[in-house]
Order: sequence, then structure tokens, then C-alpha cells
Amino acid sequence: MPEPLLEARGIVKSFGRVRALRGANFTVNEGEVVALVGDNGAGKSTLVKTLAGVHQPDAGEIFFEGRPVEIHSPLDARRLGIETVYQDLALAAELDAGANMFLGREVLRPGLLGKFGFIDKQAMRARSRDAFANLGVALQDTAAPVATMSGGQRQGIAVSRAVTWASKVVFMDEPTAALGVVQTRNVLDLIARVRDQGLAVVLISHNMPEVFEVADRIEVLRLGERVAQLRRSDVTMEDVVGAMTGAITHDGEAR
Amino acid sequence: MARKTWIVAALMAVLAFGVAACGDDDDEGGSSGGSASSSGGKKNYKMTLVAGVKGDEFYITMSCGAQAKAKELGVTLDFQGPDKFDASLQTPVVNAVAAKKPDAVLIAPTDTKAMYAPIKQLADGGTKVALVDTTLEQADFAVSQIASDNEGGGREAAKTLAELIGGKGKVFVVNVKPGISTTDARGKGFEEGAKSAGLTYVGQDYSNDEPAQAASIVKATLAKHPDLKGIFATNLFSAEGAASGIREAGKLGDVKIVGFDAGPKQVEDLKGGTVQALIAQRPAEIGADGVEQAFNALTDKPTEKKIGTGFVSLTKENLDQNQDALYKASC
Amino acid sequence: MSDVTTKADEPELEDEQPRRAPFWQRLVAGSSTPIGLILVALIVVFSVMESDAFLDSANARNIATDAAVLLVLATGMTYVIITAGIDLSVGAVLVFSGVVSAKAMNAVGGDNWGVIFVGLGVALAGGLAWGLINGFLIAKAKIPAFVVTLGTLGMALGASLVITGGVDQREVPFKLITTIGTGRAFEQIPWLVVIAFAVAIVFGVILAATRFGRYTYAVGSNEEAARRAGIPVDRHLIKVYALAGTLAGLAGFLSLARFSTTTIGGHDTDNLAAIAAVVIGGTSLFGGIGTLLGSVFGVFIPAVLENGFVIVGVNPFWQEIAVGAVLVGAVYLDQLRRRSQYQR
Repeated sequence: MPEPLLEARGIVKSFGRVRALRGANFTVNEGEVVALVGDNGAGKSTLVKTLAGVHQPDAGEIFFEGRPVEIHSPLDARRLGIETVYQDLALAAELDAGANMFLGREVLRPGLLGKFGFIDKQAMRARSRDAFANLGVALQDTAAPVATMSGGQRQGIAVSRAVTWASKVVFMDEPTAALGVVQTRNVLDLIARVRDQGLAVVLISHNMPEVFEVADRIEVLRLGERVAQLRRSDVTMEDVVGAMTGAITHDGEAR
Repeated sequence: MARKTWIVAALMAVLAFGVAACGDDDDEGGSSGGSASSSGGKKNYKMTLVAGVKGDEFYITMSCGAQAKAKELGVTLDFQGPDKFDASLQTPVVNAVAAKKPDAVLIAPTDTKAMYAPIKQLADGGTKVALVDTTLEQADFAVSQIASDNEGGGREAAKTLAELIGGKGKVFVVNVKPGISTTDARGKGFEEGAKSAGLTYVGQDYSNDEPAQAASIVKATLAKHPDLKGIFATNLFSAEGAASGIREAGKLGDVKIVGFDAGPKQVEDLKGGTVQALIAQRPAEIGADGVEQAFNALTDKPTEKKIGTGFVSLTKENLDQNQDALYKASC
Repeated sequence: MSDVTTKADEPELEDEQPRRAPFWQRLVAGSSTPIGLILVALIVVFSVMESDAFLDSANARNIATDAAVLLVLATGMTYVIITAGIDLSVGAVLVFSGVVSAKAMNAVGGDNWGVIFVGLGVALAGGLAWGLINGFLIAKAKIPAFVVTLGTLGMALGASLVITGGVDQREVPFKLITTIGTGRAFEQIPWLVVIAFAVAIVFGVILAATRFGRYTYAVGSNEEAARRAGIPVDRHLIKVYALAGTLAGLAGFLSLARFSTTTIGGHDTDNLAAIAAVVIGGTSLFGGIGTLLGSVFGVFIPAVLENGFVIVGVNPFWQEIAVGAVLVGAVYLDQLRRRSQYQR
């Protein structure tokens, strides 16, 4: 069996007295969709943020393509090809869609102007428009601040951003939370397409039907530890919920 | 929504105009600035008094005296001034006054050097300038400089203080800031008078025309010289602050204060015993003289280059007889 | 950028892209246009009331000169407020920079361009130092900007009083006064105004068109999102406060050149005036929104009001009430317009 694309072992993370992760494990393989599920407070978002470089683990190791790596900042994660759609979207509301798409990756103007830091807003807007169009995100005015858009459009922008820039793994933390039926459908289709292109997708979701529609594997987190790794084709929703609430304990292997 | 915007805009315009109209000291509305007719008879001259600082009763009293004289001569006079006694704040006021090209301006410059340029610009535009109270290092272009004999006032203060403290002891001066002609002169006059009267002059410090600062200076000096006997405060705000400082330090009665200027707060302090004597100037006279000299310059009558106005030494005892020497907070 | 598409690229999509609105349309709909119109309206009102006096070129020159120093302060303040921060220390840093600059020039002695450059360098360095202190305490020690800059306000002003003994330094090289202080370019425009506008233009362009400017907006709009996007937020904040401090230093040097004295007592409300100018100009105190052009209008609206009121003859005590009322009204109008945009 090929080695995992991204693997976390024994991640411990505390915030003050709250121990969010108590030696959590996590595995993502190339070209698959893994659902990370668990009850509220299980530590899913914390685990994702740790792997995305937003938090630094108190203990534990991370392996990428077999090599041990240190992810100290969002830039480190980015360099490995990891992108994230956060639960809070992490969009700058007063900036436009293009600016958000290229946040931290601004395109500089060619030549001397570029050396002085002048950015090419036209190029960024054009490339963003293409990305949104390709991914089915409909925006009336790409020059308007993102704050003027609906929740669904904003989520679409956040998803587009991660998918456009990722080269290995995309983490999506509750990506369909604010979406209507049609848009949810689009995102799920998109997740499948992304996987088919060769990217791995980690999906955090509370929505079991969605999970069962797109996920290849399901990893269950409970109270800061992994309690189960399941093949979606081998289990039912009740099995998963059972794992979430404590029927299986400590890193039960997939059957 | 657009409707709402227009309503608010209209209200704002009405408010701005309303305040401008109500607050307008001049009687005229939107006329074009120049006088209507100047053929024979009396011409209605327009003058502005620019104080050293807005809320100071010395300048308010000056403006009352100036207004009275102006009425007599058929002159329209309005009053402007900066928020604090500082050249960077007085300059924009002078510049705006210059734009109106008044016939004459009475001004108390807040710095002998820094105010030269804007006031000269005023004069170059044809306005007659009378320097009231304070003056400039280069004042040749002014039609007149009218002030109290401040050095004499300082000496008078030293004499009064010497009498109050029994002829000897340590004395200290709370001055305003260097570069003001009047208070510099008062400080100098006091130092001379104190030394010749045999008092121990321990020095002077600057309140920056802030009562709070004057109070802290006084308290600090008392800490350094616990046997301090007398204080001379060279202007209204400094005297106010010095009295507070003495009160706060609990040295009421032990340290005698002679203040300069007789504003309502200082007169209260005099009555209450925190301050023992006040050297009052005659600001109303200065204001009236300023208007008169400017008027003379405009009507080709002879002017006096320098006028020195006098003092009144006020104590609790002679207060009743000298009511007209007190400064007013409003005309 | 990885290529994620449904099928092969569809050329038709390209043709349907909306075109960028023409320049004049963007100008009319621009965020600082309403404030600009209010400024124009004020000028019209005062011109109608007192045309001879108000419309005079000398008066215009005076208004601009009086506003020049504040414009330099407002430029730095714009960046700070766009990051959702605040800098209360600018007036005190202005005074401090003027003080150390004057002391340095007197120590070096002489009356030539060399000593003037020394003075300028010292003033900028003084401003930069306070700006860095502000930046470090705010970005690294995570102390709120209001508290930090209130503290540096006191320290800078206190240091100025200690250095001068509370007495204004009134010895300034004559050449400085005659050239930058009161001199004019082409016999018409005072150098102070030229310098102030040059500063505003340069930093306005940087804010609008460079990565540094965009990071400023990003940090102000959503600091956490900026961090997650890999933007070095702490370093950027330090640079922004350092910029505000350095510009306050420049402002101190210009004020010194103009008045030939350090005017220690005259700058107590400069911080509020700069903040007011920036806010009137359309910059939100919550960050992420604002333009330097708006701040330019914001500087001139109070300047025109104060000048106009003196000319029209408004009682000086009523002037403050009137200025305050007009300012609140102008910002309210701007807010109404913004809220309609964000209605969702």
C-alpha cells in the first residue's frame, strides 16, 4: 500500500486548560476524499488548523509524502501544496473577490513597477473571474466588496480560492454550512471533480448524507483522539454515529 | 433613501447658515465686503480685534473698551482669537482676517518673531495695524503700539510683594513663556525691583499660559524652597494657577501672592485671601486707544507710535473703590 | 495555480466578462466623491457669501498653508486607521521631532543646506523612533493601540518639555525659514504646500496600487484572514505605525520651518484633528475602508470652515459649535450612502 500523502501522529494541542487534541492521529491518501467527523468539541477544526499551520502542536509529528515536516505557519502549509477553506471563510469582507482570491499571493506588475511592489489588479481580477466561472460561482460584480455578497457567494469564493491554489490537499471545514440545495450540490460535485484531478480532499462535515455521498474514507475524532478509520463502502451511518459517540474506542482499524 | 440624503443635506445647510447668521457680529448679511458709499460724510470703517487667546477676560475687557470707542466713532468692530496663546493657532486666524481686508486690525501677537510674517502680510494688503498689549520685535509698520508699562508694572509688583512679606525673604516668579513682550518685561521689572528691595529672588518658571501647569510649578517650587515667602504671577492664567497651587499645598497665608491682571476668578481669590494683591492693567483703555489710533491713521490724523497705559494696585481693602478696574467676562 | 476545470476551457466564457467601467463613471461612483462634493459645496457657499475675501488667491494660499502640516499627519493616520488602529501620539511626536531637530541644528550651527538636512534627518529619525515603539507594543506586545499611543503621547510631550525646560526653542536657521518655511515654488505655491501634496500623492499611490497598500486594507478588514493567507501581519503593523511616526516627524520639521519656533503648546488637539480629517474623508474606524484622497478632502473641510467662518464674521465661540455640527452632518451623509450599498 502506498504511503499516505499526509499523516499526523500523536498531535497534542491545548489552549490554556482546554486539551483540544490529546494525541490525535490523522491520515490522508493521495487522490481520495476523506471525511473527518466527530461531535462538537471533538477537535476537528483544531486538527485542521494545526495541519494548515495556523496553530503549532504542543507535541506530535507530521509526515508529508513520507518525510517528517514542520508546519510552523500558513506559508509552510501552502508550500507543501495544502490549502484550506476555514469554517469562518477567512475572507477580508471589505476587499473584492479578486483581492481575496489572491490574498497573500498578489500578482506584481511586470518590470520596474513590480519591483516597487505595484500590483496588477486587472490581471488578478481577470484570473479570478476565470476561476469563478470554471467552478460555477456566479458573481454579479467582481469589483464589489465581498461583504455585499450573499453567504453562498462568499462560501463559493472561499472554496474557489482553496481549490485554485492547492496542489496536493484541500481541507474544507463545513463548506456547505451556509449553502442552499443547488449550491451544496455544486460543492459536492466540485469535491468529486477535485479528487478526480488528483488532489486529496479532507471534508469536515456534520451532514452524514453528504459525507456518504462523496467520501471514500471516514475518520472519526472523539474527545481529541481518533477512534475509528472506516471505509465508507463498508459501513452505515449508524456505525459512524456510534463511533462518534463512543461505541468504538481508540483508533479502531477499518474493518 | 436618496430622499433622506437630500433632507439631511438641506438641514445641514440650514444649520450652518443659521449658526453663521446668529453668531455673526456684523450687521451685514451677504454683501460684498466694501463700504457702500464714501462720498463725504463719515465712512463706516471695519476693524477686527484679534486677541492673544479667546477665553481670557483681559482680552474680553479690551474688546468691551474697544467696542465702546468704536461705537462712538461709527466703526464696526468684530472679535476673533485662537483657542490657546500660541503662534501656530493664531496664524490661521490672522490669515483668515487678512482675506477680509478690513480697514484696520488690532492684534495682540502671541510671539514676537513668529507672528511677524502673517501680520506683515496683513499690513501689506493695506490694513492699518495697531499692536495692542503684546508687540513684535520689528514693529515699524504698525501705526501704534499700545501697552501697559509692563516693566514698571513688574517693579510695582515687587514693591507690593516686599511690603506684604515684611521686607525680606525668598520670592519666585510664575511667568508665561519667553517671547511674549509683555510678560517678559514684567518678569524683568520684578527681578530688578525685588533685588533692589532686598528680597531673595530664587528664579522664574513658565506656565505656558495653563493654570494647571502654574499650579504644579508652584507646588514643585514649594517642595524645593519650603521657606518661600512670596510669588509673583505675571498674567491671568498664571495667577489663577498659582493660587490653586498654594491652596493645594496647604500654604494659604504662609505664602503671599501678587498677581497680574484682575479677572473675576482672581478678584474672588483676592476677596478670599488666597491672593494678597493684584496689579490690574487697563485693558479697556488699551482697546479704546487701539481703535482711536487706527481711526486716526485711516482719517489722516496724527498717530502716537507708542502709548503706555497705567496700572491700579488692588488689595482687599481698596477693592470697593476700584470696581471699574476689574476685568469683565462679558460686556 | 492548478488547473481545475469541468471540461476543456470554453472560449465563449471569456467574451462574456464584464468590462471595467469607464474612468468618469468610476470617479462619480468613487467612495470619496461625496465628501469631495461637500467640500466644493462649502467653497461655493462661502464664495457666495463673501466672494471678494474668500475667493482671493492669497486666501486660498493661506488656507492651503495652514492645512499643509495637518495633511502630512493625516496621510500617516490614514494608513493607521485603515488597519483598524489609531495613533493618538502624532501631535506630541510632531512637537518632539521639532524640538530635537531645532536642538540638533543649533548644536551643528551655521545657516546652510547642510545643517537643514541634519535637522530634517533628526526630525524624521525622532518620528520614526516613536513610530517603531508604537508598532512593537501594538503588534508584538498586543497592547491596544489606543492605550499604547496615549502612553507615547505623554512620553513624547514629556520628553519635549524635559529637553526644552518647557520653553519653546526659537532659534532656527534663517535659511530654513526663508526657503521651506515661507518660500514659494514659481513665486506662487508655498513650498510647504508642495511638500505636503507630494507626500499625499506618493503615499496615496502606494496605498491604492501597491502590495503594501493592499496588505494595509487586508489587515484592517480581517487580520486573522490576512495571517492565514500568509501575510506577515505583525511586521506590517510595525511598518504602518513607523510610517505614521516618521510623517509626524516630517510635520514637526515643516512646522518648525514655518513658525521658526517649536510651538510646544499649539499641538494638543492635532491628533483629533488628524483623526477627524481621515474619518470625514470616508475612512472607517473599523478598518478596511478608506482612501487618501478622502483624507485630503477631510483636511480641507475643517480648514475651509474655519477660514470661512472668520471671514463671514461668526463669533469665535460659535465657530466650534458650527464646525462640529457640519462635520457630524458630513460624516452622517457619507454613512447613509455606504449603508445603502451594503444592504443585503
